[in-house]
Amino acid sequence: MFNVLKQVTDYAKESLQAAKYIGQGLSVTFDHMQRRPVTVQYPYEKVIPSERYRGRIHYEFDKCIACEVCVRVCPINLPVVDWEFDKKSKKKKLNHYSIDFGVCIFCGNCVEYCPTNCLSMTEEYELSSFDRHELNYDNVALGRLPYKVTQDPMVTPMRELAYLPKGVLDPHDLPAGAQRAGRHPEDIAEELRAAQAKEEESKEEKVN
Amino acid sequence: MNSGIDLQGTFIESLQDLGLTPGLAKLLWMPLPMGLMLIGATIGVLIAVWLERKISAAVQQRIGPEYAGPLGVLQPVADGIKLVFKEDVIPAKSDPWLFTIGPAIVVIPVFLSYLIVPFGEKISITDINVGIFLWIALSSIAPIGLLMSGYASNNKYSLLGGLRAAAQSISYEIPLALAVLAVVMMSNSLSTIDIVEQQSGYGILGWNIWRQPVGFIIFWIAALAECERLPFDLPEAEEELVAGYQTEYSGMKFALFYLGSYVNLVLSALVFAVLYLGGWESIIPIENLGALFGISENAPWLQVIDGALGITMTLIKAYFLVFTAILLRWTVPRVRIDQLLNLGWKFMLPVALVNLLLTAALKLTFPFAFGG
Repeated sequence: MFNVLKQVTDYAKESLQAAKYIGQGLSVTFDHMQRRPVTVQYPYEKVIPSERYRGRIHYEFDKCIACEVCVRVCPINLPVVDWEFDKKSKKKKLNHYSIDFGVCIFCGNCVEYCPTNCLSMTEEYELSSFDRHELNYDNVALGRLPYKVTQDPMVTPMRELAYLPKGVLDPHDLPAGAQRAGRHPEDIAEELRAAQAKEEESKEEKVN
Repeated sequence: MNSGIDLQGTFIESLQDLGLTPGLAKLLWMPLPMGLMLIGATIGVLIAVWLERKISAAVQQRIGPEYAGPLGVLQPVADGIKLVFKEDVIPAKSDPWLFTIGPAIVVIPVFLSYLIVPFGEKISITDINVGIFLWIALSSIAPIGLLMSGYASNNKYSLLGGLRAAAQSISYEIPLALAVLAVVMMSNSLSTIDIVEQQSGYGILGWNIWRQPVGFIIFWIAALAECERLPFDLPEAEEELVAGYQTEYSGMKFALFYLGSYVNLVLSALVFAVLYLGGWESIIPIENLGALFGISENAPWLQVIDGALGITMTLIKAYFLVFTAILLRWTVPRVRIDQLLNLGWKFMLPVALVNLLLTAALKLTFPFAFGG
């Protein structure tokens, strides 16, 4: 008899608990309704890529010495370096250079290892095309600089989260000249340079 | 009580003054409320679809439709036009007749059910004395259409979806009917207008929600299941069944299903408002306010305001319920089929029965409060 009563009370308790949890869930969703949308309305608004953004690779033909280091460090040996040995000058003569961005994974190894810094990463990421062969960029296409988001009159540039002032989560309607949180890298570099100069001065004094 | 606005009476009378016979005048009147009902239900659906998209977007911190009209209000219209122009595909190995009739059987009863929804004392299409029973009877036709279209599609997902829809509708019809029965017992009438009348006079305190708190919850859960709204949207669970019985449909036939589901949602919300939230009654009793300022109840301008207020109150209540349904959609996960049937048969049915018996007992002991 008491066993049945206990079962009934337990069942009722469980039902009430379930109702409570649904209520808590509803309060969460209701709270989210009042928050501002996080949407960046591409293509009218675009996020400014960070300085370290690994976008489409830029290549300077004239700097390249055809050493093929980029090919060796590439996970899939992707860059195509077409050169021939010029017997007169006893130097490699570069004819063509190409990277297929349909295959590239944008790891940045080639940029990292290039001895003459002729490779660099840009902030371009809009690489879609109707034919995948169009993504095979030759040295002319690789030499083009991308259009900057901040200079495009059609686009409202939006700052990324790390570049917003402290406590701000929304890039829309920032006041003019709002600085990002924390110290700027150039300030830190300036400080370090000053400290280094001071140290050297004191060293010189010691020597003297 | 005052008679309120009698549009039908005045319309027929004015036509008779023009020299028409009473029968002809009545015949001329008849298409007007029918057309109004169709237009009203469709506009209600457009608003519900827009609300669904906008509220869903807000809950997920998105913007939602924005470019079609101000705040994207024309988005459902654009969706509709797109569906009208799409190709109407009938699968090769399907049964073309059943495949075509299915969506119609789902949609027509839902639209018919709008006949019984009152927006004011005289502002309803019909006042039949079996009103709420008609709604329950009509809503049990829809699963036949769903099963029909699921079976005729000749697709395993469609068939499973159709079977699930039928199982779900049948098992949730019973608690729904029992919850309605408790309300009917208190108001001694099946007519929706009588049910609202019985709740009137005390403003928000007189609404059935205070006398039927259990029935209120049971009705809402069962109505969500009947509408196949999210905690119970198993028949069209896209992760498991592609789109359930809608899988093979496109173009206008798909649009009918889509329209039907939203019409059903708005209708359920309206019926819910009528049964539990006092229908067209305001939060404060308006008759008393009129008496307070010494205005006659029969003043024409007061009656116009009263009518407009009644429609607004009904719609506000209904759309509040639509809002909670949308919010629930993003709050609770979908139940499994065994959980769904467990909830229906092992929880809702006994609780609804106890609620009915309790209402009967309370009616006998406190006849003044529970409509003796």
